[in-house]
Amino acid sequence: MVVEVFHVEDAPLESDRTEGWSYVRAAGDVIRQRDGSWLLTSAEAVRFGHRHPEIFSSARAFDRLGSPVPLIPIASDPPDHRRYRKVLDPMLAPRVINALEDDLRAQVRSLIAAFADRGSCDAVADLGRLYPTQVFLTLFGLPLDHRDQFIEWSETIIEASSPSSDGMSAETVETALALFTYLQECVARKREDPGEDMLGRVLSLEGDDAFSDDEVLGLCFLFILAGLDTVTAMIGFTLLHLAERPALRRQLRDDPSLIVPVIEEVLRLEQPAAMTPRVTTRDVEVLGHLIPEGSHVFLCLGTANRDAEKFPVPDDIDPAQADNGHWAFGGGIHRCLGSHLARRELRLVVEEFLAAIPDFELEFGPRPTVVWPSGTLHLETLPLVFPAGGRT
Amino acid sequence: MRVAIDRERCSGHGRCYAMAPELFVDDEAGYGHVVDDGAVPLGSEEEARRAAVSCPEQAVRIDQ
Repeated sequence: MVVEVFHVEDAPLESDRTEGWSYVRAAGDVIRQRDGSWLLTSAEAVRFGHRHPEIFSSARAFDRLGSPVPLIPIASDPPDHRRYRKVLDPMLAPRVINALEDDLRAQVRSLIAAFADRGSCDAVADLGRLYPTQVFLTLFGLPLDHRDQFIEWSETIIEASSPSSDGMSAETVETALALFTYLQECVARKREDPGEDMLGRVLSLEGDDAFSDDEVLGLCFLFILAGLDTVTAMIGFTLLHLAERPALRRQLRDDPSLIVPVIEEVLRLEQPAAMTPRVTTRDVEVLGHLIPEGSHVFLCLGTANRDAEKFPVPDDIDPAQADNGHWAFGGGIHRCLGSHLARRELRLVVEEFLAAIPDFELEFGPRPTVVWPSGTLHLETLPLVFPAGGRT
Repeated sequence: MRVAIDRERCSGHGRCYAMAPELFVDDEAGYGHVVDDGAVPLGSEEEARRAAVSCPEQAVRIDQ
């Protein structure tokens, strides 16, 4: 009898994702893990998973998170999924974000200005944690003065949903309740006077498209679980890679059109949501492996994004391959709903950071590590130093 | 040369209109569409190729 000993939790990802993902990839295209779950690691296997949502279901795949409301639309299958995305996609489309861009740029500029004169910052605490929540509050038409309270609530809930957590403690339940009460009050107020923001637009939906209160709260909850710490993590990773590459920073300064390709490459190498869960609806053969019905399967984007067949320089930043179609935002019908917004946030962060602080480096000390195992790969801190006042 | 988008495969990554704005345009939901009938003007062949490669769903087709 074959005893499966592999588990992705053992991958050495903390200090070096290249080492960690190579370890996972070396175990095979399709891996049965010791807890009975499966991992699809190659580009081909992941693409197969993305293309067959009828076999790789999302509806039950997020039960582990124990959300009290349905996580819309991530934990749904067609036809419900199609109904949700039809109304949600237009609310996060590039042209909606275009209208917010000046405001979002001014906000990130002001966050950076707050530490530019200091000569040092923790890019995670001083920027990465603050900005995505401000963007969420702006998009949903909620007051920014609740930002810090909101961050405290959402971080407690995100922490409780991580695989290493012991589940819902009394404190988490209390926090979730406080957040739900706050959101319910916002929803009630917005039902009276919806406004043009995203929450107002969801509440204004009528007839077959209308969302129930539970669905509205589920959508807010998903934004908090999926749209905040992921962007926080990417801000950290992007600035980490730039801090380590002075030549690349100079290139970006000379040719700003490289900013987007470089962000795409960091997305490909460091995608914070590196494994997306599914549950099989029937027995299925993937690249010669029989996966039984009812299996928990993870689509491993971290390895698929470094597949050498697709990316000539799989483990390093090469702006020339930035258009090779990575899956940092997943793929198939569940392509990240917030991908356009996340990309814009990252571009604004990099543009404004480089404008205010062209030269910066890691504070002397060990290279920042990621938390693993974790639902979202992220840096806890990113201490940077630079000439006070930024510009030299 | 002509480009086309397989609507069954397209899931709205938006890479095509980011890579080749002369050939593709976004709709109000953020999904890409070919401009006019998808005919690629002389000199834009490289953009067409980049758009096809950049699509994670392999939804952009190039017909010679």
